[in-house]
Amino acid sequence: MGRHQPVAKTYHPPRQVDWGKSVTRRRYMKRELTSVFLIAYALVLLFGLWRLSQGEAAFEAWRATLSHPLAIFGHGLIFVAALYHTRSWFEVMPRTLPDSAMNPASITRAGWTAAAIASLLVLTFVVVGGV
Amino acid sequence: MKRSNEPITWLPFGAGGMLSALIAPVLVLVTGLLVPLGVLPRNFMSYPRMLAFAQNPLGKLLLLAVISLFLLHGCHRLVTTLHDYGLKAGHAPMALFFGAAVLASLFALVLLLRIGF
Repeated sequence: MGRHQPVAKTYHPPRQVDWGKSVTRRRYMKRELTSVFLIAYALVLLFGLWRLSQGEAAFEAWRATLSHPLAIFGHGLIFVAALYHTRSWFEVMPRTLPDSAMNPASITRAGWTAAAIASLLVLTFVVVGGV
Repeated sequence: MKRSNEPITWLPFGAGGMLSALIAPVLVLVTGLLVPLGVLPRNFMSYPRMLAFAQNPLGKLLLLAVISLFLLHGCHRLVTTLHDYGLKAGHAPMALFFGAAVLASLFALVLLLRIGF
């Protein structure tokens, strides 16, 4: 080493990635992972729309694949991920609204309530429209 | 100050996150589980019904919103997470993933128009 010693240490951000040692990090990873499942679901719908545009035979073939055990299993995973997204989206929401007069827990509860009402509306629309 | 292009990608991220937080679970439950398993009658998703839904302007809007916003939200989140885990390649990953989501959305729009009114 020369005689010129560095006086101030330059800040280097830590290089190591935390792959899930802390609870908050694991929560973050689960939250971010829901995006993959939402993309997968949107692609399933897009594919179905494409088959719908090709006529009845193509659409019914797509519908038959939805009943395959693997498709059911996949949609089960997507459902769990979507529920986790609903939960975490509204849990994080108070942090995106730091100036809100509402207290954080109320914002989260309001979000979950809105999701429950929206889901009931969709389900009602499906059942009433289907009968 | 240089203007940020962040809002262009952040707005669909937020809108898609909100829409999916509200209705993604129930949509997956109906289209992926209840109807294929026969808990709800299987003819709920029959060709004539789905065609009528996709021909209705409101149905079109809903299909487009769900497909495109879920994709834009998901791709945005995926890229920011990959960045956080060490993928440092400037704007390229966001342009690639977000661009793919935009292209897929345009494809959905074309399909909806082709299905007609």
